[in-house]
Amino acid sequence: MVVQAMPGRDCALSMNHPPIPSPDAAIAGGEARAGDAPGATGFGFGAARQPKLSVLEAIRRGESVQGHTHAAVEKEAALLRVRDFKLFYGKSQALHSINMAIPEKRVTALIGPSGCGKSTLLRSFNRMNDLVDGVRTEGTITLRERNLYDRGVDPIDLRRKVGMVFQKPNPFPMSIFENVVYPLRIAGERKRGVLEAAAEKALRSSALWEEAKDRLSESALGMSGGQQQRLCIARAIAAEPEVLLMDEPCSALDPIATMKIEELIHQMSGRDDQSAGGYTVLIVTHNMHQAARVSDYTAFMYLGRLVEYGPTANIFQNPHLPETEQYVTGRFG
Amino acid sequence: MSVIGATSLSGKRGGESRFALRRIRSSGMFWACCASTMAVITLLFLVAGYLFVLGLPGISWALFTQDATGDPEAPGGLRHAIVGTLVLIALSGVVGVPVGLLAGVYLSEYSREGRGVPARATRFVSDVLAGVPSIVTGILGYELLVVPMGHYNGWAGALALAFIMVPIVARTTEEMLRLVPDSFRAGSLALGATRSQTILRVVAPAATGSLVTGVMLAIARVAGETAPLLFTALGNRALTWDPSQPFPSLTKQVFDYVTGPYESQKRVGWAGILVLIAILLVLNVSVRIVAARAVRSRT
Repeated sequence: MVVQAMPGRDCALSMNHPPIPSPDAAIAGGEARAGDAPGATGFGFGAARQPKLSVLEAIRRGESVQGHTHAAVEKEAALLRVRDFKLFYGKSQALHSINMAIPEKRVTALIGPSGCGKSTLLRSFNRMNDLVDGVRTEGTITLRERNLYDRGVDPIDLRRKVGMVFQKPNPFPMSIFENVVYPLRIAGERKRGVLEAAAEKALRSSALWEEAKDRLSESALGMSGGQQQRLCIARAIAAEPEVLLMDEPCSALDPIATMKIEELIHQMSGRDDQSAGGYTVLIVTHNMHQAARVSDYTAFMYLGRLVEYGPTANIFQNPHLPETEQYVTGRFG
Repeated sequence: MSVIGATSLSGKRGGESRFALRRIRSSGMFWACCASTMAVITLLFLVAGYLFVLGLPGISWALFTQDATGDPEAPGGLRHAIVGTLVLIALSGVVGVPVGLLAGVYLSEYSREGRGVPARATRFVSDVLAGVPSIVTGILGYELLVVPMGHYNGWAGALALAFIMVPIVARTTEEMLRLVPDSFRAGSLALGATRSQTILRVVAPAATGSLVTGVMLAIARVAGETAPLLFTALGNRALTWDPSQPFPSLTKQVFDYVTGPYESQKRVGWAGILVLIAILLVLNVSVRIVAARAVRSRT
């Protein structure tokens, strides 16, 4: 089934559908079933007497909808797995049963109109949502098969493994050097040599070394916006995380600074050069062209649901659902 | 301007007169602000000038080397009172500044957005305490430490002063920490820092200048207090380092001298006020330099 409607108030929708598979099965086998089902190119609402209902309409009505995940995603080795993940801000639900696998050492983009939950989902990977009052989650997100939401998991530890770059560059009011080595400092590192080596490595990886090497002791606040954002990337990777989350990292930058960051994201995923580190990058963006340029995989979200998820080229050129096509071509959202 | 001018030229006379009225109001506002600023500056210079005129004649080396004699013919100096005030500031600061700072940190960083019962109660009590006449804290010090010990003493004076400091420091600390952008906190936490690391390494250093200002305001306020000391430290004509004894202070000594009948003592009293202001100035500048160094060495 491509789109499955939960048995719910609107029974007309669910009548002709098989029962919902468990979320795990949806991820592992969703594609195979989609292939088996006759007429899988359309929606699952085949019966003539039912009104033809688009996925987005179903979502707007509050139906439970399982997103369509392309088979190619499952062929990659997944570093992170989201299983039946729900998130509530107080009484309102921001994420509805998200199921997705994030491939290792690839760039995955989250796109969708404002309020679709892509930033909320991003912040679920390093549990930054914990800091918001009244947030409650259900389901699991696993990093190397370890559930991030287990009781035993310390969010402080987790955030060392899952770094984050914010929408607005937020260098601390310190020197450039101290900004970069901040993650080492808080981990208790004091040896000057270690700090200097780490700073140089991180600044080189973020393509900032040449610009910054002669002014390491100057305040980071004196840098341009694009430099500040690359400094924030350097700071995030100085902790040597496995995953890098980026929340619209270029939306406050001019086109040239944006281009530099995009190049950087491309390099960091290590697709071209395995020695370059190889981070698993998750990026939220409002800019469709940016998603197309920097990412290997793209997930389209709408009102807290995953709608379609697959290789970026497929999502943009040959999406499975007409809704996705409409969104990526700018016809709504 | 040109657009407005054009429409009002071509438009009705009503529009033009309304525009003129707005201009008059605008310049009226400007001149009212200017006049008030001038009044403030004039007042400031009057006070400062008055103090200098009255105080300078009494300034002498003996002021800093001699204690009070009690003899109106040769009143001696203010060494005992200067030492007393410095000790009182230090003692009250040791208690009041950390408590105030940490309470302010709680209000700004740990209470849920400043809501929650403890935070609201603390803020309310602080505001009330800050508005309580200082003589009331003097009476409290009297009841808590003077009555049990059986005589006036420096501890009671320092405690009364600390009581005055805590709400001032707590509230300014809270306000100043709130001005630090949340993006710093989020950035630090996202890098795997704990809350205390975030506060000590990012939030507090970003606000150091204003935190020092808050602390210095509280110290200046306390250093100039006389009323709470009347009930607690009382005063002492002799130099003492023992806070369990009645304790001297500049303000109390100045009060005694200036309200007394002898011209010679009045002169010393006026000089004492200048000395107090100088002490606060030196303290302020040196604390600022030390704080700036401390921040620079860590960042």
